[in-house]
Amino acid sequence: MNRNKLVLSVVLVILAIFGWAGWANWQYRQQAAEKRLASVAKGELVPDPSGDGLKYLSPFIGKPAPDFSLQNLQGQKVSLDSYKGKAVLVNFWATWCGPCKVETPWLIELRNKYAPQGFEVLGISTEGDDLKPDDKAGWVKQKAAIAKFVNEEHMSYPVLVNGDSLSQEYGGLDAMPTSFFIDRKGTVVAAQMGLTSESDIEANIKKALSD
Amino acid sequence: MDIEGLGLMMRSTKLAGLALLALGAGILAGHAQLIPTNGQNRPTPKNDAVQYLFPEQVTVGAGKASPVSLHFRVVSGMHINSHTPSDEYLIPTVFTIPDGEGVKLAAANYPNGGNITLSADPKTKLSVYTGEFIIQAKILSPAGNHLVQGKLRYQACNDSQCLPPKTITVPIDVIGK
Repeated sequence: MNRNKLVLSVVLVILAIFGWAGWANWQYRQQAAEKRLASVAKGELVPDPSGDGLKYLSPFIGKPAPDFSLQNLQGQKVSLDSYKGKAVLVNFWATWCGPCKVETPWLIELRNKYAPQGFEVLGISTEGDDLKPDDKAGWVKQKAAIAKFVNEEHMSYPVLVNGDSLSQEYGGLDAMPTSFFIDRKGTVVAAQMGLTSESDIEANIKKALSD
Repeated sequence: MDIEGLGLMMRSTKLAGLALLALGAGILAGHAQLIPTNGQNRPTPKNDAVQYLFPEQVTVGAGKASPVSLHFRVVSGMHINSHTPSDEYLIPTVFTIPDGEGVKLAAANYPNGGNITLSADPKTKLSVYTGEFIIQAKILSPAGNHLVQGKLRYQACNDSQCLPPKTITVPIDVIGK
C-alpha cells in the first residue's frame, strides 16, 4: 500500500506541475495577446515578401481613416470628413525632410492628373513637435516657414499644420514621409512610409479611386 | 502485494505515464508559444540615431575656458545634418549646456559636414555627419564636482525617410580644480 501511496503522490505532484504549466502558458498567451493588440495600433516597416526592399504595414488598411480637423495655412479648419466622396491622399511631411521634398513634385503632378476623377491630396506638416500649444509666437513663426516652403515648392494642394497632434491616431508616424490612401467611402486602402516612387504612389491613387 | 494492490499500482503507473506525456506535450506547446513565429528583422529606424560615446568625466581648470572633445556616433545607415546644413529648412546639429548647471559652454567648434546626395535626388548636396564625429567644446567650470546634463539636438535621415528632430542628453562629470 505504501508503494501505491507513493505512486499516487507522484501522480498528484505531476498533475500539479502540469496544472501550473498550463496556467503559466495561459498567462503567457494573455500577455502576448495584449502586446499584439497594443502593437497593432502602430505601423511598421517590414521586409517585403517579394524581397524588394521594405513594406509599410499599417493597422489601418481596410479600416475607416481616423477623422481629424486641422488648420490650413489660412487659419481655417479643414476636416478629413469634408472630403467624403473623394479619394484622398493624406501625406504627412516636414520642411526638414529631404525625401518629402523629392516626392512633392510627384504629388503635385498626380494631383493635377487625377483631380478631375475626384482625387485630392492633403499635405499635413508635422512641424512644431517642440512647440507648446500656447506658444503663439512660435506657431506663427513655424507657419510662416511652412508657407514659404509651400510657395517655393509650388504645392498647389491644401496644406494643414500641427500634424504631429495626429501621431497617435495615425499609428505613430515614426518617420517622414508617411502617406495614407483613402477611398471615396473614407476607408484606408493603402499606406506608405518613406520615399518610394511616383509609379508606386500612382498605383495606390488608382486603388483609392477604384474602390 | 495482493492482486487488487497490483492492479491499483498498474493503473497508477499508467496514469503517471499519461500525466508525464501530457506534461511533456504541455511544456512543448508552451515552448512553441515562446518562440517568435515571425523571424523577420524589424528594420524600422528608431529615434535613437546618435549615441554619446565619451568622455564621461573631465577635469578642467576652475574658472578657465577649457577644451573638451565630445565624441558621438551616428548609427550605421543614417546621417544627421551638420552644424551648417546646406538648406535653410534643415535642422542643424547643436550642442548646448542648459543654464543653471553651474558649468557654462564658452564655445563649441563643430566638424565640417561630409557631402552626400540622396539617390532619388542626386543634384542636391547635403552637409551631414555620419559614423563618429567630434565636437570641440570649451567649458567654463567653477571649482568642485558638477554633473552636467548637456544636450545635443539633431535630426536624422536615411536615404528614403527622416526621423523627427531629437534632443539627447550628454552627461559629463566635470571636476573643476
